[in-house]
Parts: sequence; C-alpha cells; structure tokens
Amino acid sequence: MTPDLPEANESLLSTVAAPAIWAAHFLLSYITAAVWCAKVAGADGSLVAVQRAISLYTVLALAAIGLIGWRAWGRHRLGDSPPPHDQDAPGGRHRFLGFAGALLSGLSALAVIFSALASLFFGSCR
Amino acid sequence: MIDADPTPLAEAPPLELQRAQAERLRRVWAAPTGWRYWSAVNNTQVGLWYIAVAFIFFLFAGVLALLMRIQLARPGNDFLSAELYNQTFTVHGSVMMFLFAIPIFEAIAVTLMPQMLGARDLPFPRLAAFGFWCFLIGGLFLSGAIFFDAAPRGGWFMYPPLTSRYQPGIGADIWLLGFSFIEVAAIASAVELIVGALKCRPPGMRINLIPLYVWYTMVGAVMIVFAFPPLIAGSMLLEIERAFDWPFFDATRGGDPLLWQHLFWLFGHPEVYIIFLPSIALVAMIVPTFARVPLRGYTWVVLAAIGTGFLSFGLWVHHMYTTGLPGISLGLFSAASTAVAIPTGVQFFCFIATLWAGRVKRSVPMLWVIGGLAVFVLGGLTGVMVALAPFDFQAHDTHFVVGHFHFVLIGGAIFPIIAGLYYFYPLVAGKLLSQKLGTVAFWLVFVGFNITFMPMHLSGLRGMPRRVFTYPPESGLDALNLASTIGAFILAAGIAVVLWDVVRPKKAQRVAPRDPWGAGTLEWVQEMPGEDWGIRSIPEIDSRYPLWDQPHLLRDIDEGRFYLPDAQEGLRETLVTSVIDAKPLQCLRLPGPSYLPLAAALTLGGFFIFGTFHLWALATGSLVASTGVICVWLWTGTAAKPTQATKDVGLGVVLPIDAAGPASVGWWAVFVTMLADVTAFICLVFGYFFFWTVHDDFPPSSSPGPGVLWPTVAAALLSASWLLTLLARRWNGRDRAGAFYGALGVAVLFEVAGSAALLAGPWSSGLQPTTHVYPALVWLLVGWTVLHVAVGVVMQLYCLLRRARGVLTAGHDLDLHNVVLYWHFTFFTAATTTAVIAGFPLVAR
Amino acid sequence: MSTKSAQPHLLTCARFALAFAVLPLGKGSTLEPAGLAADRVATLFWVLTIGATVIWLVVVGLALYAVSASRRPQSPRGSSLLIVGGGVIFPTVVLAGLLVWSLSMLPGLLAPAPAGSLEVRVTGYQWWWRVEYLGAEGATIELANELHLPVGEPVELQLESHDVIHSFWVPALGGKMDMIPGRRTRLRLEPTQVGVYRGVCAEYCGTSHALMSLVVVVEERQAWERWLAAQAQPATSPGEALFLEQGCGACHTIRGTAADGALGPDLTHVGSRASVGAGVIEADVPGLEQWLAKTAHLKPGVLMPSFGMLPPPELTALAQYLAGLR
Repeated sequence: MTPDLPEANESLLSTVAAPAIWAAHFLLSYITAAVWCAKVAGADGSLVAVQRAISLYTVLALAAIGLIGWRAWGRHRLGDSPPPHDQDAPGGRHRFLGFAGALLSGLSALAVIFSALASLFFGSCR
Repeated sequence: MIDADPTPLAEAPPLELQRAQAERLRRVWAAPTGWRYWSAVNNTQVGLWYIAVAFIFFLFAGVLALLMRIQLARPGNDFLSAELYNQTFTVHGSVMMFLFAIPIFEAIAVTLMPQMLGARDLPFPRLAAFGFWCFLIGGLFLSGAIFFDAAPRGGWFMYPPLTSRYQPGIGADIWLLGFSFIEVAAIASAVELIVGALKCRPPGMRINLIPLYVWYTMVGAVMIVFAFPPLIAGSMLLEIERAFDWPFFDATRGGDPLLWQHLFWLFGHPEVYIIFLPSIALVAMIVPTFARVPLRGYTWVVLAAIGTGFLSFGLWVHHMYTTGLPGISLGLFSAASTAVAIPTGVQFFCFIATLWAGRVKRSVPMLWVIGGLAVFVLGGLTGVMVALAPFDFQAHDTHFVVGHFHFVLIGGAIFPIIAGLYYFYPLVAGKLLSQKLGTVAFWLVFVGFNITFMPMHLSGLRGMPRRVFTYPPESGLDALNLASTIGAFILAAGIAVVLWDVVRPKKAQRVAPRDPWGAGTLEWVQEMPGEDWGIRSIPEIDSRYPLWDQPHLLRDIDEGRFYLPDAQEGLRETLVTSVIDAKPLQCLRLPGPSYLPLAAALTLGGFFIFGTFHLWALATGSLVASTGVICVWLWTGTAAKPTQATKDVGLGVVLPIDAAGPASVGWWAVFVTMLADVTAFICLVFGYFFFWTVHDDFPPSSSPGPGVLWPTVAAALLSASWLLTLLARRWNGRDRAGAFYGALGVAVLFEVAGSAALLAGPWSSGLQPTTHVYPALVWLLVGWTVLHVAVGVVMQLYCLLRRARGVLTAGHDLDLHNVVLYWHFTFFTAATTTAVIAGFPLVAR
Repeated sequence: MSTKSAQPHLLTCARFALAFAVLPLGKGSTLEPAGLAADRVATLFWVLTIGATVIWLVVVGLALYAVSASRRPQSPRGSSLLIVGGGVIFPTVVLAGLLVWSLSMLPGLLAPAPAGSLEVRVTGYQWWWRVEYLGAEGATIELANELHLPVGEPVELQLESHDVIHSFWVPALGGKMDMIPGRRTRLRLEPTQVGVYRGVCAEYCGTSHALMSLVVVVEERQAWERWLAAQAQPATSPGEALFLEQGCGACHTIRGTAADGALGPDLTHVGSRASVGAGVIEADVPGLEQWLAKTAHLKPGVLMPSFGMLPPPELTALAQYLAGLR
C-alpha cells in the first residue's frame, strides 16, 4: 500500500539540487582561489588559507548532497518495486524521481571530491 | 485511491463521423499551397526546411575542409593563399558549429519531438518558423562572405586583440553580428523545445515515461539557454570595441584579452555537449528498437544527460591551461574535466547493456551507431588525455586537438545523425533509404574518417600547430598530412553516397510500411506517408514503449478513440499537460500559417546586416520595422480572446481554452527567455568584477565614477515602477480600470525619468567610454539596463492599448502576467546595475 | 576563388620550387623529448596511450559481442552489473588515479627556475620573436628568432606580446605558454640534450601564423658562453652604407652602426643565424637576396616592404652585407 503521492509534492528542481550544489562548490572554490591570488596573496603567495576554505566548502557541500541523496534514495526505495520504475502510476514516477535524484547526488559528490582533491596539490599561487 | 487513467472509447465512432473528423483535421492542418507555402509554420514543413538547410551548410563547410586538406597535402603548397586559408578554416569551423551542429539539433527536435509527444505541434509554431528564417538569412550572409574574400579570418574562437585591432575589414563584424543574430534564433528554438517537452506531452506520459530523446533534448535546450548568453555578451563587447573603440580587450587602456576567452569558452565548452547530447539521443531511440527490448538503465541515461549538462559548465578553463593561470585553477578544471567522463561513459554502457539484453537485428542505422560508438569512445579517451593539464601543455593548439575533437564531434554527432537519418527518414518521406547505399557509405565514411583524423594526433605531437597553412618538409609531417588528405576524400565520397541516397528519385519505390522497424515509441504511430496533422487523435500513454505495450494503440488512435479527434471550430489545437504527471490542463489553440515570422526575421536581419556595414540609418530603420512587425505579430497572433471558455476534448475531459500566469505556456516561454537574458547580464557584471581582480586599482581611483546620487534616484524610480506594474496587474484582475490605467501610466513616466537618471550618472561626471575599460563598463551596464527598461515601456504601452481596445480584460490577462514577469527580471537588472556602479566603488576604496 | 598568390614572381631563379617555404630548422617532436618537462609529459603520454588503447579495445569488443548473434541475452541483473561496474566504478577509479598523478606533476612543471638562473625575455610580434638575454644590472643582449641555451640548466623565460596573442612552444623541450598583451607569463625550460630544436607559435596570430618559427640551439656551457659573448659585441661588415641609404635603419638595429630602429628584429648578428624571416629562408647570401626581393611573397602580410625594385647588384651587395654580420 503506497501512500497518496500528489503531483504537487514533486519537483524537477529538487532532482537537480545536488548538481546545483556541485556548481556552487565549484564556482566558490574557483573564485576564492582566483580572488585570493589576484588581490590578497600575489602571484607567489601561499594558498594554505584557500585550501582550508575549500575544505570547509567541501564538508558543507558533501553534507548537503548527502542529505539530498539520502532522502532521494528513500523515495527510490518506497514500496517494494525495483527499477526501471516505468509504472504508469504516481508510485513509479515518485521512485523514478528519487532514483534520478540519488544518482545525481552520487555523481555530484564524486565531482565535489575530485575538486577538493585538486586543491590539495597546490600550496602556492604559482 | 488515485483516479484511473481514462481509457479509449470502447466503440469506434461511426465511419461517417470518422471520415468527417479526418477531413476537418486535414483541412485545418493543411500546408498552404503555391507561393503561400513559404508562410507555413507547422513543424512538418518548418522542420524539413530546417534540416535541409542545415545539411546544405554541412556540405558547404565540408567542401571548405577539402580545400584545406588539398592545401596541406604537401609542405609548401600554394593551392590557397595564406589569407584564403585563414578564412577557410575560420568559416569551416564557424559554419560547422553555428550553422550545422546547433541548427541540426534544433531542426531534428522540431521535426520529431511533436511526433514523439503525440502533439499536433509544439506550442509556438510561429516562433519556430521565425527561428528558421533567422537562421537561413544569417547563414547565407555569413557563408556568402567568403565568395567576396570578406569572410572572417580570426579562427572560430575569434581571440582579440587579433580580431579587435589587427584585422580590419568587415570579416569579424560579419562573424560577431551574424552569429549573434543566429544565436538569438537558437535561443528562440530552445525556448520552444523546453516548453514543448515540459507542457505538451500526451496525457499520461509521466516524467518517468518520457522518451529518452526528449530528456536529452530538454537538457540540450536548457544548456543553450545558459551557454549562448555568455557568447552573445562577449560578441557585444567585441563588436562595440570594433565599432566604437570601447577598450574592453585593449590592454593599453585597461582591457584584457582574457575576458573574451572566459566568456567564449563559458559558451564554447557546453556547446560541445549541446551538440553531443541531442545526437546521442538518437542512439538512445535506435538501440532499443533493434535490440527489441526496452533500454536498460533508463534512469542512468537521464542521470548522464542531466549530469553532463551540469558538469560541462565547469570545463571552460581547460581551453585556457596555457594562459598562465594559477596552478590551482588548472587543477579545479582538470578535476571537472575528468569527472565529466563518468556520466559520458555511463550511457555507453547502458547502450551496450541494452544490445546485450536483446537479440540485435542488423540494420544500417545500427551500423552507423556502432561505428559512431567506436569513434566517439576514442575521442572521449583522448579527451581525458587533454583534460590532464600537463599533457595539454604539449597537445593544446596542435593537430592532436584537431584530431581529438573531430573524433568527438563526428563520432558523437555525425555518425548518430546519419544513423538517425536512415532510421527516421520514413517518418519524413514515407520511404526507406537504401540498405546497400547506406552500408557502402558507412564503410567509406568510417575508413576515410580514420585515415583522415588518426594521423593528426601524431602530426600534432610531432609539433604541428593547428591553423597553419603550411609546414616544413623533412619533419615527419609529410606522409601524415598526405594520408589525412587522401582520407578526407574517401570520407567525402561516403558523404556523397549518403547525399545521393537521400536525393535520388524514389517515385517507383513503394511506400514504407507503418512502423517499419518495429519500434515501440510514439513517433512510429505515424501514417505512411505522414499527414500534416501529426497524429489523428492524441492517445493516453501508459508505457515508455506504448507501441509495444499498449494493445490496439494504432487502431484507437486511427479511429479517433482518444483526445482531440476533431477540429469542429476549424482551429489548430493541441493539449497542454502538467509537468510531472502530464495531466491534461488546457486545450491550446495554435496559430496557423503567416508571413509575419518571415517579415520579423527579414527586418531583424536587416538590423544586424546593415549594422555590419555601419549603415546606421538603415540599421535603425530595420530595427524599428522589426519592432513594428513583432508588435503586429503579438497583437494579431497571440492571446486572442477565446470564443468559448472550455472545450470537451474527448473521453469526458473538459479543458479551459484560456490560461494565464504559470498555467500558460506563454508565461513559461517568457520565463525561459528571461533566464537567458539575465545570464547575459550576469556575464557583463562578471566582466566588471573580472577587471577588479585584474587591476590593483579598480575602479581606478582617478576616475570619478557615476557617483551615488543619480544611480540611487534611478533605483528608487525603477523600483517604484516595478511595484506599480505589480499593482496594475492586481487592479486589472479586480477590474478597476481607472486604477489600472493610472498605475501603468505613472509607471511609464517613472521609467522614463529613471532611465534619464541612470544615464545622468556617468554623463554628469564626464565618463568617456573610449578612454579606459572602467567608464566603458559603467556605460555598458547603464545602456543595457536602459534598453531593458525601454522594452518594458513598450510592453506596458501595449497592455494599456490592449485594455483600451477591450482585448485585455480582468479575466483574460495573460499579456499582463507576462509583462509583470518581464518586469521582475528588469527590476533585478536595474537593482544590480545601480548597486554595482554606485555601490561597489564605495566598498572597493 | 583565387588559388594563386597575387604577388608576381620577381626572381625567375627560385631556389625553392614551392611558394611557401618553411625551413626544417631542427627537431620539433614532443615524442623525442630533450628537456625535463617534455620528458615527463612524454612518459605521461605513453602511459595514457597504452591505457586508452586497452580500454578502447575492451569497450568496442563488448559492443561487438553485444550485437553478435551467438550469445545468450543478458539478465537485468547482468545489465546492472555492467552499467555500474563498467560505467561507474571502473572509470571513477581510473580517472581518480590519473587525476592524482597528473596533478602531482603540475607544481613541478609550474615552478619557476631557481633564483640566479638564466633569464630571457621573449616577446611575440606578428610574426617573429624578439629575444633579450637579461643580464645583471639591466643589461640586455638582443637578437631575434633564435635562442641558445646551456644544456642541463634551468632557464626562466619571461613571455610577452607586442600585438596579438602568441604562444611560445618548443615541443622537444617542454609545454607551451601563451604570450598575452598586457600580461607577462613565464615558462621554465630545462634542456637535457645538446642539439638544435624547432620552436613555433602555437596560437593562431594572423596571416603568417604558420611562418613564425624559432630556432633553439642547446649547447655545452662553454660554447654557449662564447656565443653569448659574441652576440654582445657590435658587428661590422663591409657595405653598411647601402643598408643605411635604403632606410633599413628606421626599423632595424645593428649595434655599432647608425641603424637603431626598434620596430623590426635586431639584425646585429643576423649572418650568424640559421634563418631570416622567423624560419622562412636561410640567412646566407642567396637566401637573404630572395628575402629582400620577395618579402611579402615569402611571408604574406609582413610589415617589411619588398626591395625587389633594387637593381640586382645592389640586392646582392645588401645580402652580402647582412650575411657578413656574423
């Protein structure tokens, strides 16, 4: 017995929330580094402060993506119906959006980790 | 309990009625005949023109490529002069990108998507026609230039200062203005596709049942909305520098050439995926058909499409690895550039899994699909190589990169498009293409392609930069280049075979059977040959592959047992449904044939073309004319007062004819368009802050700036006018005519005063835009805002007039909703502009 | 479309049958590295290429197997394993590894040469290179289109542009770096083998972008010092008067004479160079004669006017003078 799943409670935007967080993390990391090197530290300056900032962004971003992904995964697991979620019923649509959101969260988390990884290799603005 | 889906009529309507319905539908949707044929706006006509013209540009650019290959066949060749060679590669790249790759995506989508969605047409047929005419006019203008030795010669990415100060003549202007014109048209088509995919699906086609092609198309179209504005903004800056000497890219006056590279590649990298995703979408339709099973990993493919769409916006700096940016910037973009390979790869494994899950039927489309996969995967792997910054230091700007991106684009787009051509051709022409010719063409193209582009990787690594019209002998490059030239002609022979297969007379050939490949998706319900109505009645969808899963679907559609089987009122109609579950919401009346889109495209094209030649009077005249034409188009063609409030669309569903605000497709179109507009604006603001990071002293302490007073006055006036516009909508809704006229009238006055105040800022402090990039940027932001306010004034006057003429009423106020929406964005623009030009200097100093 | 160059042939006896000549100049392949950076990248290249080939064979092999008729259809579970294993886990692991490896290389490649290293400023022009050896106390030794480096020592290049964006690239020695007006970029090279290498402009920079080469001579420290000392000297050669009389000094400098123009390349020791015109033709008497007579033909768009109107004896005399500047 699946609960009532009205269309109004679903949103395409929440499905793409995780990649949007990746985008924010990515832009913020890039802008922080670029402004720091251009305006604060200079061309040979140290990047340790930026690395710390990016670590902080990363923790926040991963926490948010984790939360989104976890909730999306819950929607994907609703009821007892594995993919491909192709039922012509609110349940199928609900599970599909959950699964898509969960997969996008996974990809976004991976991309955030890649970015964070990249920042670890650079101790200076060179 | 949830309402069960309506089922088709249990009994077919009497034959007599069926015949009368079909006759009415046929008459309503018939293409105009004779000369009036060119006023057609239906997707079955416009889509066909669009595809044909895009393909002709492809052939043209391909011939240019052959000329280049002849020139490079041996070292020191003088087949083309240096100047002509430079024009040739510029035009080849630009035409392939802007006049083939993007338009063919939109053309195929405009043609196929209504069929896949069981819609009679997309929601804005005239907009699609307008997009096509803009594309045709701009394209002819651009490619014609090379016959007058006046073509652009700055390379397809047009780096200043080469293009701003070192290439006199109109070549660069043709590029900048011509492509801006075409990009506007491309955005128009993207708006049409997005709204169509979200709002015009058949009832029951929930978000989890959408054909994958539509997912990809939607992602591609959304990417256009965000990727094209940076290029339009950049082109505007570059053209203003060329025409009026505002020094955005001139280092001697504070400008910086790197700003162009940021803006260009912020467009340019997503562009590659905008080309790739809709092409691979064709593969996602072809593979299940021939594997005879539903696609495995549907959600994974959706993930791939959306994920790639996002990540591709984080790659732009990988075209700038060698510009001396800090290492950490290279690292971040290297990370995103490798990450994007994951979603790109996932979809290929879904396709392989699907093939593996079924019993594959050999066919020409599958041959092209598999060939394309082999080619693209190699391009993807070399893509990972150049994503790694150290390797790119060597490979960048060499023939290695030329080889790489031809593998990606030809494997990822040309092979799938030709596969799609062989697959979908019966839908368009009612006949099948030749299996024999298709196979011969494939092997010619596949072999020729590899002989052409494989050696380029090596010639690049052996030190051959791209865009060179010659190279030294005895350096290991001769044989490689000769091979590339020979391969290019084999490839061209293959394309010629495809061309012949398409144009050869097929009178004697019998009409293809319906659903000739045994596919499962909705576009194949089409009669052979197809009717202009698109679909006889709009079905209720229960499955991703309705033709496989829904019994009697064809019969029920053909006998008019579903929605909208008739056109009693003699009007073109289609259904509007909800975004997630595709519940029917509205019976949308669509406009019929008209010359207005053509006239609008001609006059707007006149503005850009006369502007290129600095014929300002004629350009202004054209702009005024096009504004007039567009106003007439809107007045006569949109938001007509419905003759009835509701309509019974069949199966007991009664839908409203009219909708306003977020319930209407027009509101969504304005919303998406304004997203693009505001993206361009943000790019200009980015430019302002970019210079803050480039210069130690920015805004320059020697410059007075626009001051605080006038921008503040402007902000206050424009905010007030925005609020008045909101109030006007509310008062109109309550049918308080006096208050409505008063509010909107005062708003217009405030806007005129606000614009004057905004201009007074930089004017009163004597900022000269030609002296330095800072005053140029201030004037630019001010000018952009004033232009938007001016357009807003025209819209408000339009609403005042509509109400006065009784077309706009309290209950029929869709125009006003859209104007308010426009004003939300314009308010944001004005507020940001004033905050930046007046506020930031206070913070920065 | 015109397929012939508009320039008439002024000299009937062309030494080159081909209209556009680019000299081979030296080794110019990234795959025969002769510098530290090029060497590292070549290693990266070979690993990537072998890996890419294997992956390509496996993926295309899988696809071909999947379309073949003689196999059992895969179960949904098998599909999931294929998609997750092949499409997610495998690429993630490989890409993460490659990313870490390449990123760990970057700081080393981007690091400046240690203080006290040789510093050279190279400025890009349409379509040639101004080369200035920066000595102590601001003393510079200027030449054009040729760079001599001592083997085994790091050198710091300061890269600038006079007009449009160029890109400095000596494939055998290391990666490229753009030269951007209004900015100064830098590049460290560390040649490891004696030899002559070809450099090119990698960023499209206008009409004769293809004809913008650079000779890099890597030699032993002593030979290099001798060469630099010679370059520092003013030059003399008989026939100077004709050079000055033709107004060449308005654009070109020949140290030790009245010619002190700064628009074009410094010609003080032009006779010692491998080529003129940034790699277009040999800097010997016949080569210089052709260069002077058909400048615009040999290098389309070049700023220097052709001197084909001079009587042949004068042309020869001028060429002899320049070739004598060694």
